[in-house]
Amino acid sequence: MNLNRTRRQILKVTALAALAAPALVRAQTAQRIRYAGFVQSEGELKQLLAALNRYKAINPGVDIVPEFTNFSSFIDKLATETSGGNAPDMFSCNVDIVDEYARRGVLRPLTSYTPNPIDLSDYVQGAVKAATVNGQLFAFPNDAIGPALVCRADSFKKAGVAQPNQMWTWEQLAKISVDLTKANGPRFWGMEDSGSNYIPCDLFMRGMGKTLFTPDRKIGFQSADLAEWFAYWDRLRKSGGVPPADIQASVNGSDITTFLVTHGRAAMTAALTDKFAGIQTMVTNSELFLQMLPNGFDGGTMKQNHYVYAGNSTGLSAKSPHVDRMVDVVRYLHRDHEGVKLRYLGSGMIPCSKATRDMLVATGNPVDAKIVAYIGLLQQQEAAPRSPGVVGMSNMLRRMNEAVAFGRLKPQDAAAQFIEEAEKRLKA
Amino acid sequence: MSAAALAAPARAAAKAASGASVARRNRDGYLFLSPWLIGFFCLTGGPILASLYFSFTDFSLFNEPAWVGLENYKRLIFDDPRYRTALGVTLAYVVTSVPLKLAFALAVALLLNRNISGVGLYRAIYYLPSLLGGSVAVAVMWRKIFAYDGVVNDMLLWFGIDGPSWISNPDYALSTIVALAVWQFGSPAVIFLAGLKQIPPELYDAADIDGAGRFATFRTVTLPLLTPIIFFNLVMQMISAFQAFTPSFIISNGTGGPDDSTLFYTLYLYEEGFSHFRMGYASAMAWALVGIIATATAFTFISSRYWVHYGDR
Repeated sequence: MNLNRTRRQILKVTALAALAAPALVRAQTAQRIRYAGFVQSEGELKQLLAALNRYKAINPGVDIVPEFTNFSSFIDKLATETSGGNAPDMFSCNVDIVDEYARRGVLRPLTSYTPNPIDLSDYVQGAVKAATVNGQLFAFPNDAIGPALVCRADSFKKAGVAQPNQMWTWEQLAKISVDLTKANGPRFWGMEDSGSNYIPCDLFMRGMGKTLFTPDRKIGFQSADLAEWFAYWDRLRKSGGVPPADIQASVNGSDITTFLVTHGRAAMTAALTDKFAGIQTMVTNSELFLQMLPNGFDGGTMKQNHYVYAGNSTGLSAKSPHVDRMVDVVRYLHRDHEGVKLRYLGSGMIPCSKATRDMLVATGNPVDAKIVAYIGLLQQQEAAPRSPGVVGMSNMLRRMNEAVAFGRLKPQDAAAQFIEEAEKRLKA
Repeated sequence: MSAAALAAPARAAAKAASGASVARRNRDGYLFLSPWLIGFFCLTGGPILASLYFSFTDFSLFNEPAWVGLENYKRLIFDDPRYRTALGVTLAYVVTSVPLKLAFALAVALLLNRNISGVGLYRAIYYLPSLLGGSVAVAVMWRKIFAYDGVVNDMLLWFGIDGPSWISNPDYALSTIVALAVWQFGSPAVIFLAGLKQIPPELYDAADIDGAGRFATFRTVTLPLLTPIIFFNLVMQMISAFQAFTPSFIISNGTGGPDDSTLFYTLYLYEEGFSHFRMGYASAMAWALVGIIATATAFTFISSRYWVHYGDR
C-alpha cells in the first residue's frame, strides 16, 4: 500500500468534509434563532426552556438557541452583542430597553403583525402602550406585572398587625415597619429599605401628584420632593423600621436570593409581582401576600397610583431574517394552550392577555391565583404606566440613597446630584 | 591579478550568501511567529487602535462614532467626580494590596525555602489560592465569608460580638478586597522562592562565620540579593492591581458599592461603556489608565537605580 497516497486521500476527504459541513448543517437546520432574555427565577427558566424545546419538537427544522440570564447580566450582554453586530434574533425587553433600542433602530417595528397573528386587544393596554414608540409597536408584551409589597404573613401575625387597607399612607407604612421590627426580635426589620428602588420612588412622587419622569422624557418632580424621599428612608433607618445601611447594601435588588424577606429577616419588601412566586418558593415557613404600596400621605388626597404593565416583552432584531418564524414562537408562547401551560403555569409570570390569564387561573395554582387577583385589583382603578427614565437610573438612585444612608450626603444634596446626573443623561 | 583583487569578489559573494542566509533564517522565524503576529495585528492591534480612535469620539455603541476631539479627556480631568473617586479607590487598593501581598509572599517563600519534609506539598498548597484567586467562584466565596451573616461574623458571635457586614460597609469593603488580593500571594511567592534558591550558600556561611544573627543575615545578605526579584514582582503586581476588576465586580454586585467604596477604575470603565453606552468615554478612560500605569512603571524603574542591586554591578 502506498502510505503517502493514502494519507493524501484522507487529507482530501477531511478537507472536503470540513468545507461541506457548514452547508450540511444549514441544510438540516433551516432556521436558527437566538433567543436571549432575562428571567426572575430558576423555575421560570426551566419552564421557558421546556416550552421552547416543545416548540422545536413540533416544528422540525427550527433551532432555537436560548441565551437567558438574570436582568443585570442580560442588559450588559445585550448591549455588547448589539454593538458588535451580533444581536440576538429575539430578546426580552423592559420598558426602558424598548424605548432605548427602538430609538436606536435595533428593534423591528411589529405593528403589521397585529392583530394577525398576534391579537393584542385583550392585553393589558398599559403594557401595549409602553411597548409603543412613536406610534409603532416594537415588542409583544409577555406578562402583566405591577408594583407591590411582598409581605410575610407570619411576621404580621407575630406582631399582631393586620394586613393594612390598600389605600394607606406612607406614614402608616413607616409606623407598621417599626412595629414589626419591635415585635419580631433582633436582626429582623419590618421593611427592606426601598430608597434605591425607582418604582416605589415613582409611586411616592405620584402620591404628591407628580411622577419620576414625564412621557416626554423630562424630570417630573422638584428637588425637594426627592430630598423628602431620601429623608423618609433615613428617618425609617434611624427608627429601626428598615435595616442599617450596611445590611441593606448587601441586598442585590434584582436577585431574590439576597432579599431579607427571603431569609426571614424582614417582613416586607417592595418588588414587582413577577418576583412573588420565586420568593414564595424559597420561603417555606410562611405564606406571602401582596399588598399595595402606600397611595398617599396623611392629610393628602388618596388615589390608587399603581399601574399594570409588562416587565418582560419580546422584541425582534431589525436585522434578523426569520421574522415570521419568531412571531410564530411568540404566538405559541402567548396563545397556544400547550405553550401557555408550559411557559407560565406556576412560574409567577402572569400572561398579558386576559384570555390567557383566565386559562391559567383555571388550572388552580394558588400562587398564580394570588398574583392574578392582585393584578385584577390594580386594574380596577389603574393609573397611567410609568414613563421610561434614563439609562442607569437604578444605579444612580442606589448610589444617592447609599450616600445618604452612610452619612456622606444630606438628602437635599443627594437629590440635587441625582437631578444633575439625570439631566445630563436625558440630553445625551 | 593580485591576490587582494581576487579576494574582494569572494568576500562580496560570501557576504551576499551570508545575507541570504540571514534573510532565510529571518523568514523562517517570522513564518513560525506568524500565528502570533496574525493574532496580534488582527485581534489585538486592531482593537487597540480602534479604541484609541473611539476615545476621541462620542460613541454610544449603536450609532456611528462622532468626532469630539479631546472632549472625553477634558471630562475625565475636570468634570467627572466619580472618575476621581474610582481613581482614588484604585490607588488606595494598589498602594495597600501590592506591598502587603509582596511582604506576605516573601515571608511564605522564606518558610518554604527551609529544608523541611513535605515542602513540595506545602508549596503546591500555598500556590493554590493564586490559581483560584482571580476566579468568580472565589469572589463569591469571599462574599459568603465576609457577609453580615457570613462565617466571620458567626465566629465573632461566639465571643458575643455582633460584627458589621464587612463587604457592604464602606469602612471595611475595600479592606476585604485587599485581603482577597493578599491571599493570592502564591505567584510572587514562587518567584521569590526561585530567587532565594539563587543566593550562593557561601554568603550565608560567611555571614555565619562573621557572627551575623538571623535578622542581620536577612537584612544584609538575603534582602539586597533579592532586590531584582522584588523589583520584578513589584512591577508585575502593580500593573495587575491597577487592572483589578473581578473581585469588586462580584463582591459589590457590579455596582462598586457600597457608596462607591469599591468602585475600581476598570469597574467604572465597564459601567460607562456597557451600562451607560458611553463607549467613547470608556475608551478615553482605558487610554488614561495606560498612561497612569506607564507613569507608575516608569517611576518604579527610575527608583530602582537606588534600591535594586544586581550582582554584576
